[in-house]
Amino acid sequence: MKITELKTHLYEFENNRVVGDANSPAGRKLQSNLLIEIKTDEGIVGYSSAGAASKPLVESMFNRALKDKDPSNVKGITKQMMDFAFKGGHGGMINEAISSLDIALWDLKAKSNNEPLWKTLGGLNPKVRAYASGLDIPMNDKNLKEWYEKMASWGFDGGKLKVGLNQDDDIRRIGIMRDALKVNSDNPLIMIDSNEYWSPKQAIRFISEIEQTFDLTWAEEPARRWDFIGLKKVSDGIKTAVCAGENLKTMGDFLPYFHYKSADVVQVSSGMGGVTTAMQLADAAYGFELPVTLGGSFGHVHAHMATAIPNFMIMEITQEEPDPCMTWDVTFEGGYAIPGNKPGIGVEINFDILEKMKVEKTSPSTQASPFGRRPGAGLYQVAPSKEEIANSERLNQ
Amino acid sequence: MKITDFKITYWEGKAERAIGDANGPYGSNRLPGSFLEIFTDEGITGYSLIGNGYVEKLFPLIEGKDPRSVIGLWKEMNDLVFKGGNEGERCDAISAIDLALWDLKAKIADQPLWKLLGSSTNSVKAYASGIDLNLTDDEIFEFYSRMADKGIDAGKLKVGLDLDSDERRLGIVKDALSKASDRPLLCIDSNEYWSPKQAIRFISKLEEKFDITWAEEPARRWDYNGLKKVSDNIKAAVATGENINDLAEFMPLIDNGAVDIVEVGMGTTGLTGAMKVANMAYAYELPVAMMNCPGNTMAHLATNLPNHMMMEVVDNGRELFFNTDHHIADGKIILGDKPGFGIDVDFDKLNELKVDKHSTPKHESYPFPRREGAGLIIKPLEKD
Repeated sequence: MKITELKTHLYEFENNRVVGDANSPAGRKLQSNLLIEIKTDEGIVGYSSAGAASKPLVESMFNRALKDKDPSNVKGITKQMMDFAFKGGHGGMINEAISSLDIALWDLKAKSNNEPLWKTLGGLNPKVRAYASGLDIPMNDKNLKEWYEKMASWGFDGGKLKVGLNQDDDIRRIGIMRDALKVNSDNPLIMIDSNEYWSPKQAIRFISEIEQTFDLTWAEEPARRWDFIGLKKVSDGIKTAVCAGENLKTMGDFLPYFHYKSADVVQVSSGMGGVTTAMQLADAAYGFELPVTLGGSFGHVHAHMATAIPNFMIMEITQEEPDPCMTWDVTFEGGYAIPGNKPGIGVEINFDILEKMKVEKTSPSTQASPFGRRPGAGLYQVAPSKEEIANSERLNQ
Repeated sequence: MKITDFKITYWEGKAERAIGDANGPYGSNRLPGSFLEIFTDEGITGYSLIGNGYVEKLFPLIEGKDPRSVIGLWKEMNDLVFKGGNEGERCDAISAIDLALWDLKAKIADQPLWKLLGSSTNSVKAYASGIDLNLTDDEIFEFYSRMADKGIDAGKLKVGLDLDSDERRLGIVKDALSKASDRPLLCIDSNEYWSPKQAIRFISKLEEKFDITWAEEPARRWDYNGLKKVSDNIKAAVATGENINDLAEFMPLIDNGAVDIVEVGMGTTGLTGAMKVANMAYAYELPVAMMNCPGNTMAHLATNLPNHMMMEVVDNGRELFFNTDHHIADGKIILGDKPGFGIDVDFDKLNELKVDKHSTPKHESYPFPRREGAGLIIKPLEKD
């Protein structure tokens, strides 16, 4: 089998609900996506997606490393892509291109074996534990309650709340989330995520106070991603596990985490050098006796990967229907994500819907890192302004 | 596709050439071996060139399962042996099953394993390893010279019992390999016979004359302080890991800087375990080196590891009843396109070698027991 052609489609759509975090309490609904199609001489097509801005890099990397190759050789091809990017480093935007191409290659590899990706990866039970994650700072209390109640009705007994701007609000809202999830468990798993908004000492103060009321499973990104000393300090200063890694891009970025025990739960993603590197990273974490958690992903490819990660803990589900032009072969039942038996990742594209959402250029608010970093981060908490609250209320409607 | 049954055949034979190291300096060509077959309902059979009686205890876990789920099954087997630990016989059995499952997985996809794993190359750099403490100077020259004829420019000499002789023989290895390179890669292996301070003394002395790529197992496998001390005091890289079974035991070595080159092989809890250890090393920017194995089958995994350096080739004629689809040329192990590990078995020959139970000879024992004086005072060879 030979790779023949790359096609990309840029499109925009409105989420069915508002999302945001400590860096964007105003929230947003608009989202953009670059759908990637990789075609082969045997008619099999591999799918993936990337951020809009990485399009030129996706194209140049495709021409340099994928064209005319056999997608079965995915790990070799991905190594070559990283070697090509050696001098400038394979983080940043080039990582996005490499990751998205790697994901499409795995889709093709599994499809050419005529098996679902979870089986290609060596997974045994296609059933992985998941938790609900509202990306919910801009959600008002009423919508927060309703959303977690809906997720609870799907069987979820774990939730992750975005926190960081107001301690009293955070404590009240954790209670709302917990109460909604209580239908499934007497002790729902409670996670919090401050998205690098705090300094290590702020994190220790705020988390310790929350711990007086709640038993927390993890606190996510309680300090900056590269501050391996600060993260370790937080872990040493609180009872809760420190969960971190989400915004790292390469295997090498994790070396200080492993060596200095900066993270108690390691976040791995197909956005880190693709499925290939994510699986290698999960192995490395396994060697250090660290659990792995996975976030949101293209077509829920993470549910496939989780089946083949022995130290996999739990996977994040953010949106119940994130993309109107796409269906995927993962269902949710009893708090589990269940990848099905369609070949590859199991994503199918509705090109009629896609055609209607196509854009030439994406709106600025949807581009990479849409939330930006909020003023006051690591210094003091800047509460949402009147304008931000008004915006989030409008989007809550 | 479902796993239906298995069969283990124990066999005994003699390798074409005897091998020896610091613990077994007089050498042996004894070959007690096992051959595992795992059968499926679609007539495809997975092979493993190792195995033992514990496979029978693990088999119910995999019976009726799809062999393509190999990593999930590997975890289940590991979880089963939790209490007693993934060591010794239990680890060997998990390794044997894991290898047969990978063979099946690739055969089901009708691909050579290197390709199923996602590699884009079918070849891997090789180094010659005579396991040669029992060989005469002439035999050493002949072996490495023959390897150099295949383009191999790296060699590993067994050392440890006599520094003068080690120095002389390393010179012979270098001369023989000079055919393939102006600067052959020279490695030495003392198989845990030395204490850390002995290792530092002896290796430093050899380094006055030779540029050494790695010194293997210069201290005991678990002595991460000792191995680190050796690494801090010699120029050569410390290579170790060969005798470690479980992933978790690599943690102190890697995390404490006790290893510069991580060795993995069939014994690292199968292909799955070896891949995980290699990825752990990758995260620490450490190279890995694949250990030798019958038929060089682990080269399939080696092609797949971004941080793989070179793989050990012993070539002692131990493939008594099978062939594997590969050849050695241009200094590389080059794998073919036959599905799975590419193992072809001559069942008539296997039947001739078959035994009910492995014999346990009193004197000539293989693998070698630990030699007297290890880590204390060298017990020299008796001149006879």
